[in-house]
Amino acid sequence: MHLSRIPAGMRYYIGSEARVRRAVEDAAMSVFDGWCYEEVITPTVDYYALFEHGMGQAEAQRGFRFSDSDGRLLTLRPDVTSSVARAAATLLAERPRPLRLCYASSVFKQQQQSHAEWRRESTQLGGELIGAGGTAADIEMLAIAAEILSRLGLPESYCITINNVEIFNGIAAHLELDEPSREEMRRLIDTRESAELRRFLASYKTSAEERALFARLTQLTGKREILKEARDVITNPRSLEALNALEALWSVIESMGLQHTFEIDLGDVSSLDYYTGLSFKVFVRGAGARVGRGGRYDGLTANFGRAEPAVGFVLDLDSLTEVVGRGELSLAGNNGREVNVFSGQDIAAMLAAAQRKRLNDERVRIEFGK
Amino acid sequence: MITIAIAKGRMQDDALALLARAGLCLSDEALASRRLALVDDSGKYRFIFVKPADVPVYVEHGIADCGVVGRDILLESEADLLLPLDLGIARCRIVVAAAAPEVIQRDFGMLRVATKYARIASAHFGARGIPVEIITLSGSVELAPALGLADLIVDLVETGRTLKENGLSIVEVITESTGRLVVNRASYQLKAPAMTTLINALDSTINGAANA
Repeated sequence: MHLSRIPAGMRYYIGSEARVRRAVEDAAMSVFDGWCYEEVITPTVDYYALFEHGMGQAEAQRGFRFSDSDGRLLTLRPDVTSSVARAAATLLAERPRPLRLCYASSVFKQQQQSHAEWRRESTQLGGELIGAGGTAADIEMLAIAAEILSRLGLPESYCITINNVEIFNGIAAHLELDEPSREEMRRLIDTRESAELRRFLASYKTSAEERALFARLTQLTGKREILKEARDVITNPRSLEALNALEALWSVIESMGLQHTFEIDLGDVSSLDYYTGLSFKVFVRGAGARVGRGGRYDGLTANFGRAEPAVGFVLDLDSLTEVVGRGELSLAGNNGREVNVFSGQDIAAMLAAAQRKRLNDERVRIEFGK
Repeated sequence: MITIAIAKGRMQDDALALLARAGLCLSDEALASRRLALVDDSGKYRFIFVKPADVPVYVEHGIADCGVVGRDILLESEADLLLPLDLGIARCRIVVAAAAPEVIQRDFGMLRVATKYARIASAHFGARGIPVEIITLSGSVELAPALGLADLIVDLVETGRTLKENGLSIVEVITESTGRLVVNRASYQLKAPAMTTLINALDSTINGAANA
């Protein structure tokens, strides 16, 4: 094999691209800082069991795995949230709640679910709000995500879709679906196979009208009117409670004037096992796949011995860098600053002069003689 | 503008006819040209013509917002796409075929299966616990049993004539395949009004009579 080869899904960032990338990271972290989120840096290598409990087996299995000297299974972290949740339940157990934590960390995954996501190393910009439930905590996450995207100069070109997974769970319970049928219904909603979904529902106690309405609901995204329509067809108490929560959230979104960049998408059912309430996805014009996702996972920290509400999200730094890098935005700080070129025989004098320039926040490049 | 990737070949004419009925018309002049990217009369839609297996690739990467492609290709690609509409065009079946149907009951050794659809074939036999060796070919799969390359083939069948002419008969039907509208997940959200218009126009063209 040639030494020139780079493993699949790995890449370099050089020069202006690396600068834009760092600028995007800095912008995101400064937004988190503005909301009083503390940075956390988690271990790069950790026990596989941690991620198995934190992400579910299907996701954790995508991690690069190897064994420790004692034979226990290790993995390169495929996510950060699992590790943060453990810390919240252990290291940070005594800290007052809520915990507000953020990170910019690389994560490693084998082949991605979507072929368009070819990277095996990517960097997540993420925030976790642990120990707080309710609309206010949910909206804090959405507002931070929106603020980061605005700060990156993408104020009109992003779209955040929101849903509450309990709407689906309520319906599945109401129809008394067994596990394979539940997964089948989830898949049909997720891929928006409206006609097939109607056929699927026909074998349950549903009327043709209900089926048509429900199929339409899960296919469309929209604003408040979606919730009104949903109430006409979804009547089980569990789903209704979730619809109420979603409506409360939407009211705050409206009062913040963010309704243009948010959509309600009852068809977003891609991560049902993970989220317990709010779930959301972030899309940005110019990126062919979603650039982030988040939601509430109240069941997560219980895995580590302390059950408490938690909500969080991640944005994909690499996708954002690509979109921002293509734009006019001059996030790349150093680009404009002038460069002083120094050369000469008296190296000590030259270095001293160069240092004075740098202390003045100027840039200096040393030219070596022949 | 919405970019639509159309699978070239078998499905192309049916797909364009259906899109025309839904109001997305290409001029005769454009159709006669050999360009691989065309804009429709309204200027709202751009058509790109690519190999069937490339349609999921273009759509998944968001280069095309949506596409028209057979279910056979989608099953094989395992791309992460939205599948809002079955267009009902280019209907065909994915089948297991052999010269002698009893070959599948053979209770020794490994069955050799020649196919363009390695994933579909291996999933099909895997689910039945039948050990098979998959031989991936890129065309003229029907030749493989006669020449001794394989015991069985897994292939797309429209009329069954090609099978018959090569001395093969259908052992079992794995699944049906029709042309589907596929949509990129991000485009579905970011271009929601335009995508909804397109999906509704196609839906009422296909199901108009049934829903009325």
